[in-house]
Amino acid sequence: MVRRILSLRAGRLAAGILSAIALLAIFGPLLAPDNPLGSSSKTLAGPSGQHWLGTDYLGRDVFSRLLDGSRDSVVGAVEVALVALVVGVIPGLLSVYLGRVFEWTSLRLADTLISLPFLVFAVAVTALLGNGITQAMLVVGVLVSPVFFRVSRAATLAVARSQYVEVALISGASVNWIVRRHVWVKVLPAVAVALAQTMGVGFIVVSSLSFLGIGVQPPAPTWGGLLASDLNYLHYQPWAPVAPSVLIMATVWGCNLLADAIRDVSGETGRALINTRKAQANGLGAKRIPVEGRV
Amino acid sequence: MPARPSLPARRLRRSALLTALLAVPALVLSACAGSGSAASTSGGSATLKWATSYFPTHWDPVVGGSGAQFRELALVYASLTRTDTKGNAVPDLAQSWKYNSTGTEITFHVRPNQKFTDGTPVNAVAVKDAIDRAIHQKDSAIFGDLTSIKNVTTSGDLDVLVHLTQTDYQIPLLFGERVLQIASPKAAANPTKLDQAPVGAGPFIVTSLVPGTKAVLKKNPNYWDAKDIHINNVQLIAAPDAATVVSGLQTGVYNFADITPSQASAAKSAGLDVFVQPGFNAENISLNVNKAPFNNPKVVDAVRYAVNRKEFVDKLTFGYGEATDQPFPPGYVAYDNAAADLYPYNPAKSKQLLAEAGYKSGQIKLTLDIPAAVPDAEIVQSQLAAVGIKVSIDIDKNWATPFFAKNLTFSLYGTTGRDSAVQTLTAHFGPNGPLNLSSPYEPAGFEAAIAKVRQTPIDSPDYAKVLQAATRVGLTSKALIFTYVAPNIFAKSKSISALPAIPGHVDWTGVTIS
Repeated sequence: MVRRILSLRAGRLAAGILSAIALLAIFGPLLAPDNPLGSSSKTLAGPSGQHWLGTDYLGRDVFSRLLDGSRDSVVGAVEVALVALVVGVIPGLLSVYLGRVFEWTSLRLADTLISLPFLVFAVAVTALLGNGITQAMLVVGVLVSPVFFRVSRAATLAVARSQYVEVALISGASVNWIVRRHVWVKVLPAVAVALAQTMGVGFIVVSSLSFLGIGVQPPAPTWGGLLASDLNYLHYQPWAPVAPSVLIMATVWGCNLLADAIRDVSGETGRALINTRKAQANGLGAKRIPVEGRV
Repeated sequence: MPARPSLPARRLRRSALLTALLAVPALVLSACAGSGSAASTSGGSATLKWATSYFPTHWDPVVGGSGAQFRELALVYASLTRTDTKGNAVPDLAQSWKYNSTGTEITFHVRPNQKFTDGTPVNAVAVKDAIDRAIHQKDSAIFGDLTSIKNVTTSGDLDVLVHLTQTDYQIPLLFGERVLQIASPKAAANPTKLDQAPVGAGPFIVTSLVPGTKAVLKKNPNYWDAKDIHINNVQLIAAPDAATVVSGLQTGVYNFADITPSQASAAKSAGLDVFVQPGFNAENISLNVNKAPFNNPKVVDAVRYAVNRKEFVDKLTFGYGEATDQPFPPGYVAYDNAAADLYPYNPAKSKQLLAEAGYKSGQIKLTLDIPAAVPDAEIVQSQLAAVGIKVSIDIDKNWATPFFAKNLTFSLYGTTGRDSAVQTLTAHFGPNGPLNLSSPYEPAGFEAAIAKVRQTPIDSPDYAKVLQAATRVGLTSKALIFTYVAPNIFAKSKSISALPAIPGHVDWTGVTIS
């Protein structure tokens, strides 16, 4: 799978961008040439040999703050994606097999979560539970989880009604075995695509919240927080928002490219899954096209 | 024939192109926003479009209190007195006033033939109702400022007699716009409704109000000084973000706004009028001496010596502010030169005091509670870190509740001051002062010093000396460390004439919009 992703240009580019971002998240704080929290009298200075990206309103080295802020920014996005994955995929799979009550309940719950604006909700939760990135991202992860729920449910439904699964059932195979042997393999590509996309969404959410001053307490730097503070001093440093913006854009772009690449290498199955979702969205879902029958 | 690129390659190219296409209009739009001229901002009518960073949350003046929001409420409400450019009390709804011989009673004579905008007459009964409400209403934010008042009676239709518990010559200053904006008693019978549907006898009438967002007002033709109000309409708008205000002024969305010092240069470059309204602003670090570690006087002194006021001024005011170690700016009548610079910046001494108090470097860990992210907090954090006190910043949107309940240990506050210097002092240092985080603690001798100021007529030659002596006593308080004077910076379209330079106020008398 990885080799097939890297065989695509989008995959290679995504791998390059995301690897660089991951390295920044891991080693960024160690690579910072200056103390990211150490202020000086040189406020709002321009780029120089000593301060590659200049200094901020308190005289702190912007490059060091950018490196130091990578970890919080990336970890928040990963947290969103992982929470959404865990909360969404398992009920998505189970909703097909655990009967009508569970199916109806989980679908209504997913509908409810989708209707909640996650940014506003995250703000409310941080007001209740304290201003921290963990609780904010936990909430956003739960609110984003219906994406995984729907993707995994759609894929499971398509596989569950295929002839070879019916044959397996008639032959006495357990639901547990069918899920592990047949369903999971078909669900995984769609979930992987959703995961990569959700990472991108999570990154935007983290950046937006930290832009609004929520999630990370000052003076801890984040890319969104740096962008927010830069806007107040645009007259003095019009170039300042470029660096955090480029990093945010590149990361989201990398996640989207990865999602594209996974979708492409997941082949006909992946496309079929997408087509099924589109068909369902267009009101044809009741037909539940047997995907494997088209292969 | 060249080979058609693969699907992924095309998609890659397409996404890059889309990004570029989105970026170009964004840049063009931002460039356009920066090229607007100030000349086009007024809209050509006498409409004031005021973007404010402190849109009133309460429109009942009794609940709103004496903070900066009183400036907006003054559009709707008049008061018994107002202040002139020298800070002296001058007539507003009261035509005149007179003390008795002992200074324990003052009679205000209300202007005849005045009406609130709901038709209720402005008379002695209405004024008495306003004072009584300020003292007794459950959610009054100003009752603590009215401790000198024993009771209020009326004489005839227009005379209000205010009986005092002590000799107090501060009352005319106290009954100005900050403390006694007078609402219609008919409307005030339902304070909840009044809070979002204000009815006063001020220069303007609210015609629509979206709480927290926007208020639309029109000129009150029956205002006693309507002839000097040349603005027909007002749109009061909650400024969305400091960084966008200058753009809003340039593009004509607003024609008047308070701005941060960091935006002043941009506003000037955009051709806007930038001016500093005189005032009494003073920022402080609030300590609760009832809680550890500030119950140890050596720790308090260590924090005092750790504060470098110059850094606040240099980094936050962009040349518009100055350092202060008192609750007013240097040069103000109450500023005591004898008490200036009692605790100069001395990190070595600070470390020594911490060691004497038994604390090693890093042993004291404090939480600085603030309502919003401000660079002031980061400066406090770094200055205290330099002497070995570790500070974590906690932004709490519900900060006001624990702050005014005196439950916090360590916080920041900025005051816009008061017209009465005594009110400023009691608010900060008095046992029930709203800005005294250490209530009921007060410095020894403060009550006596304040009583002496109250007993001294404001026009007495001794007044400044007595007032400064009270400041000196107040500054022995261990609950407050004053840092710098934040400027009242405003930017306006050139179509708006200059505002009267009344300290701390935003007064529209005589202001024109061409």
